[in-house]
This record gives sequence, C-alpha cells and structure tokens, in this order.
Amino acid sequence: MARLSEDLKRAVTIFISATIVFSTLAYVAVTPRPREQFFQIYVLGETGKAERYYPDGNPNILVGRVVRWYLGTTNFMGSVQYVVIKAKLGNSTIKAPDDVNRVPSPAPVLLEFKKVVLSNETWEFPFVWEIREINVDDGVIYPTVFEINGMVFRNSQVGALKGHNLRIVFELWSFDPESDRVMFGWRTGVERRVAWLQIWFNATIAGT
Amino acid sequence: MLGLVLLAVMTMLGIVAFSYATPGVGLPASVLGGGNEAVDEANVEFRRALMAVREAEAAGADEVRLRILVEKLNWALRMIDRAEGLLLRGNIEGAAAEAEQSMEVSRGIVSDALRLRDESSLRTYHGKVFTFAMVPVASLLVTVGAHYGWKWWRRREIDRMMRMEISGLRESEEET
Repeated sequence: MARLSEDLKRAVTIFISATIVFSTLAYVAVTPRPREQFFQIYVLGETGKAERYYPDGNPNILVGRVVRWYLGTTNFMGSVQYVVIKAKLGNSTIKAPDDVNRVPSPAPVLLEFKKVVLSNETWEFPFVWEIREINVDDGVIYPTVFEINGMVFRNSQVGALKGHNLRIVFELWSFDPESDRVMFGWRTGVERRVAWLQIWFNATIAGT
Repeated sequence: MLGLVLLAVMTMLGIVAFSYATPGVGLPASVLGGGNEAVDEANVEFRRALMAVREAEAAGADEVRLRILVEKLNWALRMIDRAEGLLLRGNIEGAAAEAEQSMEVSRGIVSDALRLRDESSLRTYHGKVFTFAMVPVASLLVTVGAHYGWKWWRRREIDRMMRMEISGLRESEEET
C-alpha cells in the first residue's frame, strides 16, 4: 500500500508537471506572437537593382528621355492593408516630408498608385517617366508636361533655376481604420510612422 | 463707368470660359452631384469591404480565400479610379455607372468576408479547443510512459546489483 501510494505520488507529480508544460506550449501555439508592424518602400533603377537610376548614369534628364524605375512596397503590418503611393514633384525649396511631425510634403501630386496588399506581400511596379515639355521663364525651367506609365500629367507650379535640383518624392500612405481615411504613413499601436523616398534630377534642354 | 461694365462682362466671360475649358472640375456642383455622390458611396462601400476582409483575416481565414477577396477589393478600387477619371472628364453617367458596379462588388465582398469570418472563427475555436483538450491526453501519456519507464529502469538496476552481488560471492568462494 505504501509502495502504491509512492507510485501514485510520483505519477501525480509527473502529470501535473507535464500538464503545466503542455498548457504553456498550447498557449504559445494558439496565441499569435506580437511582432513589429511596418511597411518597406523602395525604388530600384532600370536594372531592377539599386543602381542605374538615370539613363547612362546622367542625372540631367533631357526632354523625351525615358527614365525607368521600379517602385515597390512590402506589407509587414501583419494584416491586409490599403496602400497609396503618392508621387510628387518637388524642387530644392519645397519642403520634403517631415519625419518628426509626420507631415507630408506640400509638393503637388503627379500621380497616385493604390492597391490592397496582403500581409507579407510585396507590390512592385514600373515607374516609367519622361519630360514631354519644358517651359523656360527667366532662367527657371518648368517641366510642364510629364508622361508617367503612358499617362500625361501637367505641372505649372514646380520649376527650378536652370532646371537643377528637381526631385520626385514618393510617399507611402495607408488606410487608417481609426480615422476612416488614408493617412501619411501608418499607425502601430499608439505610435505613428512614415516612410518616403526621393530621387533628384535636373531637367535640361538639349544644348544646355 | 463703361470700364467697370466691361470689366464685369470680361469677368463673367472668363468664368464661363474656365468652366468649359476644365471639364469636371469647373462644372457646377449640381451637375456633378450624381456622379460625385456615387463615387463617395463607392468609396464608403469599399472601406466597409476592406474592414470586413480584415475582420475575416483576424478570425484566421486561410490565405487562398483571403487572396481572392483582396483581388476583388483591388477590382473595386480600379473601378472607383475609373469613375473618378470619368468624373474629371465630365462623363457623369459613366462615372455613376462605374461607381455603381464598384459598390456591387464591394457589397459582394462584405457578404463573402462575413461568411468567411464566421467559418474561420468557428474553425479557430475548434482548433483551440482541440489543442487544449490534447494537453491532459499528452500529460497522461507522458505520466504512463514515465511510470513504466521508471519501473523498468529500477528493475534493471536491481538486477544489475543482484548480478554484482552474486559474482562477488562466487569470487569469494573461489578464493577460499
């Protein structure tokens, strides 16, 4: 009887220990792990790599010269996201997006790309552009007509002296369920983050 | 006086010319109303559909079915884009028709996503119940295994001790 009770005691101890261990494992298995939520945004050159962003490596873009980039974003938010990438035309005086205060650039929007992206999905697409027309006013060059991915866009606001230091800014916007609107950047818990990119170029006329 | 009248006429002509030169943007709100409202409603329906898909995802929906819903969402989004484009070009009827189609797609997504959410919630719940139900079963198996394993090991150790004792006795007998 004493022997049996010792066996029983040992069995109960093992059973309780095993239950604690397996319960912990079961809890870990059914509970989704919290992970960092973020988006990744990138621009690649014409080869699909982080190189050759300008034709022949020359940032002086002539009228009619086609520039090919690849724009992409990856959703690491852990859920389906509605993403908008805004391509804006800026110069050296127009403010860039503000990372600290999470304010987008006031530069005019050339084009918006919208898509609903699955969790862990990468959305990549070509961004093929050229300056179709240029207007020169008192030394300031205004690229007035752009063609982006086969569509024509007009600009009358942004110019640069001698066409130097123009830039295309890409901002990542996402749908925020809390405010029920698309906002610059994204929200992770109580924190808000932003992501943007820019590529500088010079708009030039042949012979200058 | 004549100058003022001329200025007023020129201003009015300018406004009229501007409204004709910029289709859509320059059209009076009352004319745009139908198309605008339809696009706004399409946007609301799209956001509703998006939230429904996210709920289904949170409930543990499988990726294949989720991907189908996301493709439909992108389809609805393209239709809204087309509707906005048509609206800007002044094609109000076309824009309203495109927005209406987008709304139909979004409503379909909402009902599919809700069904998927319910199914996924149930499956996830059953999965959790099964996982936790397996805990005592696994513990019992480990207990039984440990109990008989311990018994076997103990018997083996006793046998070994006994063999050592017998061999020790034999050695002492041989010496004497």
